[in-house]
Amino acid sequence: MIGYAVLFGFAAISIALLMNLWRLAMGPTVLDRVLAGDTMVVNMIALIILYGVQRNTTLYFESALLLAMFSFISTIAYCRFLLRGDIIE
Amino acid sequence: MSIALIVLLPLLGAVFPALMMRLGKNESAIAASSVTILSLVLLLTNIFAISQSTVPQASWPWVPQIDLNASFFVDGLGLLFAVMILGIGLLVTVYARFYLSPQEALGRFFAYLLLFQGAMLGVVLSNNILLLIVFWELTSLSSFLLIGFKSDSQEGRQGARMALAVTAGGGLALLAGMLLLGQVAGSFELTEILKEGEKIRSSPYYLSILALVLIGCFTKSAQFPFHFWLPHAMAAPTPVSAYLHSATMVKAGIFLMLRLWPVLAGTQTWFYVVAGTGVITMLIAAVIALFRDDLKSILAYSTISHLGIMTMLVGFGSEMAVVACVFHVINHAIFKAALFMNAGIVDHETGTRDISRLGGLASLMPISAITATLAAASMVGVPPMNGFLSKEMMLEEVTHATAIGVAWLLPGLVMLASVFSVAYSLRFLLYTYFGPVRNDYPAKPHDPSRGLWLPPACLVVLAILIGLFPEAWAGSITRLASDAALQSKSPKFHLSLWHGWTPALMMSIFAFGCGATALSLYVPVRSIWNKALLPDAKGLYDLSLNACVRLARITTDRSFNGSLHRMLFLFVLAASALGGVVFARSSYERGERELLPINTSMFVGWVLVIVACFVLAWKHQSRLIALLTVNIVGLISSIAFIYLSAPDLALTQIAVEVVTLILMLLALHFLPKEAINEVISWRQYRDIVLSVAVGASVGFLCWAMMTHDFQSISSYYIQHSKPLGGGANVVNVILVDFRGFDTFGEITVIGIAAMAIYAMLDGMLTGPLSATLLKWTSGLRFSPNRHPMMMVVVTRVMLPLAILVACYIFLRGHNLPGGGFIAALVVSIALIMQYMASGFAWADERVHFDYHALIGGGGLIAAITGIGSIVLGKPFLTSGFKYVDFPFIGKVELASVSAFDLGVFLTVVGGVMLALANLSNLGRMTGDGKQ
Amino acid sequence: MNSFFEALIALHIVVGAFFIFVGSFGLLKLPSFMSRLHAPSKSTTLGVGGCLVASMLQLWAAAGTISVHETLITFFLFMTAPVTAHFLALAYLHTQRSIDESLPKPSPNSNWSTLLNEESMTHSNSVRISEKSK
Repeated sequence: MIGYAVLFGFAAISIALLMNLWRLAMGPTVLDRVLAGDTMVVNMIALIILYGVQRNTTLYFESALLLAMFSFISTIAYCRFLLRGDIIE
Repeated sequence: MSIALIVLLPLLGAVFPALMMRLGKNESAIAASSVTILSLVLLLTNIFAISQSTVPQASWPWVPQIDLNASFFVDGLGLLFAVMILGIGLLVTVYARFYLSPQEALGRFFAYLLLFQGAMLGVVLSNNILLLIVFWELTSLSSFLLIGFKSDSQEGRQGARMALAVTAGGGLALLAGMLLLGQVAGSFELTEILKEGEKIRSSPYYLSILALVLIGCFTKSAQFPFHFWLPHAMAAPTPVSAYLHSATMVKAGIFLMLRLWPVLAGTQTWFYVVAGTGVITMLIAAVIALFRDDLKSILAYSTISHLGIMTMLVGFGSEMAVVACVFHVINHAIFKAALFMNAGIVDHETGTRDISRLGGLASLMPISAITATLAAASMVGVPPMNGFLSKEMMLEEVTHATAIGVAWLLPGLVMLASVFSVAYSLRFLLYTYFGPVRNDYPAKPHDPSRGLWLPPACLVVLAILIGLFPEAWAGSITRLASDAALQSKSPKFHLSLWHGWTPALMMSIFAFGCGATALSLYVPVRSIWNKALLPDAKGLYDLSLNACVRLARITTDRSFNGSLHRMLFLFVLAASALGGVVFARSSYERGERELLPINTSMFVGWVLVIVACFVLAWKHQSRLIALLTVNIVGLISSIAFIYLSAPDLALTQIAVEVVTLILMLLALHFLPKEAINEVISWRQYRDIVLSVAVGASVGFLCWAMMTHDFQSISSYYIQHSKPLGGGANVVNVILVDFRGFDTFGEITVIGIAAMAIYAMLDGMLTGPLSATLLKWTSGLRFSPNRHPMMMVVVTRVMLPLAILVACYIFLRGHNLPGGGFIAALVVSIALIMQYMASGFAWADERVHFDYHALIGGGGLIAAITGIGSIVLGKPFLTSGFKYVDFPFIGKVELASVSAFDLGVFLTVVGGVMLALANLSNLGRMTGDGKQ
Repeated sequence: MNSFFEALIALHIVVGAFFIFVGSFGLLKLPSFMSRLHAPSKSTTLGVGGCLVASMLQLWAAAGTISVHETLITFFLFMTAPVTAHFLALAYLHTQRSIDESLPKPSPNSNWSTLLNEESMTHSNSVRISEKSK
């Protein structure tokens, strides 16, 4: 049962990723693209988790952890860049 | 062992005077001289063995694949030169202690001096000719440091550069010659080569060997036409000149010619090239010396002239001439070092070295005048000084030599040179010390302190002793050295002051008379000389150097005009052209591996990468969007790493991606946000075609690689990771254990790169650029809220969690995905987060460690871990591990590589933080948000 | 692992994946940036949460322990998602000057902070922080 659920999850997330990609490519604003990128990262985290569930391993969780931490920092850095120009001041 | 130590002691001991300098000048000088004395004592313990005609040797394989061995030997010739190097080195150390002013970095000076001393000892004691080359070039390098010691003077820098270019360039020729010599002789050990004289002289390569070796020797010993560097090297502090340019470095060429005399000498070519060069050098330098006004310059040309004498003697090819040469090497070293030191004293006490501003110093500086008179007498060859003896021997040999069938040609030329030699020596002495006392010296002259006049006095006493009792003081060493140079028993000779009314004595007396007369006619002769149009060796050198530089610059400018676009185009074009040529000439078969089916998620990932790349190419004019798409590509690569079971790589990729993003954003702040809008032209189509071609060929290459079965080394690593490295995570074990040395190199590079970034950015803020930079603003409108509170709070909550994650990743790294490098990136990002949210000043105030110290400490820990295994008798960076039971915690693996990993961790944290913090500091000091 | 757990895990995965899909669908379909912002920051975060709970349940069912990882990831995501959304909105306000007029004022005599001048910001905590450190 879990196997089918995971396959459904993969399919759903893949379609979601493609939709994000559309937003990333078409914009229209830079912030739309940043948002799309951020969403992509979150989707990737879900993908990694599901991959771990499928393989029944915890080996990939650190990657998900780092992605969760760093996607925030990347997005914040972009926002700061747009807001203040200089991201560290 | 002790022989190798003679060489290694000064090289290793070079740090001591630099360290002892913190205690004071005397301590530094004592440290330097004790190293020299120790080395000298070690050398002298070998005397007995050498006098019994045995040759003490020591040898270790170094790089046996190319026959490079660390092998040393001491025979008579090596002993003579080594004694000169160490003996005069000791006197120079004492002299320099008193000569250099308190403002000058004496510790550094002594360190360089010892370095040079070690290199020079290596040249004269090496048994392996490749090792000899290593030391030979080391003398060029260390003399570069010494000549350019006064790095704030342009002359010093120029002289040092010229000396390096000429001598190190000659060294390259010598290297080629030595390689040929070794190939022909069938061995690279001198002791073997010296037995193969016949074979080498009859080999078809003899002329090439001779030419290359002689270029090396002539450049080092300042023989015409390479003589011009020596006078310019006089910009060095006088102790350096006294050491390098009288007794040691310039004699290296003579030494090598003597050393290789048994295998290279004895042919007509040898005679004409070597003796001819010697005579010409001797004559030209003696003439120029007469018309120089700088005391040191006179001495420099005099040295060149005397080196010419020695070269000529070596060139004669007769055994007695070699004896005369060896004897003159000793004598010249003694009196020329004394004279250089004396010139230094004059410079030191009167403030000038210009002979036209001097005169009449004899009554003001009596001690210096006496030593100068005696040393100059030796240089002219007045009995009973030592110079007289070797000069007589030289003239004696010259009268026996016949060139081009004309018996009087050589004696005539030498005679002429002697006349000039007498004239310049007399001028040097008389115009400095005698004549009327003047009242316009730049400083009030008086005799210097004991430390300055004692070293030259010692040398002068030695000169008199050798002159009076030559057999007792120099007989045996001359004989030993000559035996060694000839590789056979030297002809019977007896050193004595009086040989009767020989033709040589007549020539001497005649030359003296003529020289004195010539000097009395100095003023009219000088005016003729000044009017004569003479080729300027330095001018020619500069001209050719500038031509080279211009050629290099034109080539660079044509190919790299600063356009990254063009650079990439050329690079990619060249790479694909080369690859295409190779591919066209080889055959290709499809690999036998089966293709795996693709799954949906991977297909989506593939679409993502492709589309992201297209978006990048399409939207690249907005740099922010370009950055974003590059990030997406990086993200998908990390997912691919996970899918392909490489979690370590994925972790690293994720962390590096963020650090890169921050770095790029920091830099982008200073750049235009939009790239230039190019007009679509044929160049763009050309680029599209090229990039598609390159992309396709790289793709094809991957396809070809992956469809073929190949034996990779990874199975070895997987198999041995746990039993040998003690870790289950193969990637980490490879990094810190199997390829630990590479990692060590890499963290060093990270440290250096961070330091370079620091230096560069610091220079931008303080240097000439700073004015423009500090005024710069982006011209955009920005939000007023510098540090939004939401961000501040969240990042502060995240800091301890991130550190926790980093610790976790670090600790488990050896067995599970993770390790020092990733942990370091996590910590750096967590810290950078604070800088970003709460401001540079706030964060910098709260970071209580110095990033430089982190880099250094990390490198040190890694190095100590590596060296620790050497102490335990294992190769560098051998790891050890042990399972220890801790109460409450359980069984914990303690591996030495964890310490190494800690070193990696610290260096990376320090490096990343130093680079980012400084880049952000730049933004903080400039632009709209200036604080 | 009994079938109850299996069903529970599968349910979480399916629901989570659905919400992720919805989040991205919203990102694609909604008309303006401000409305688009809602979809990923709410729906997607919820969806990932579902997947994480599924993973946690799986480990719990298998080993009987609660995995720290998923807890930490969940914590990070749920803590950062609102902040991210907040900053994206802030940056959008800042970059899209044209919506100044259409935007309702927060109160009659003040304006949105990102549209103010630096001088007029007096009582911001963050400014105090940077002053203190100088």
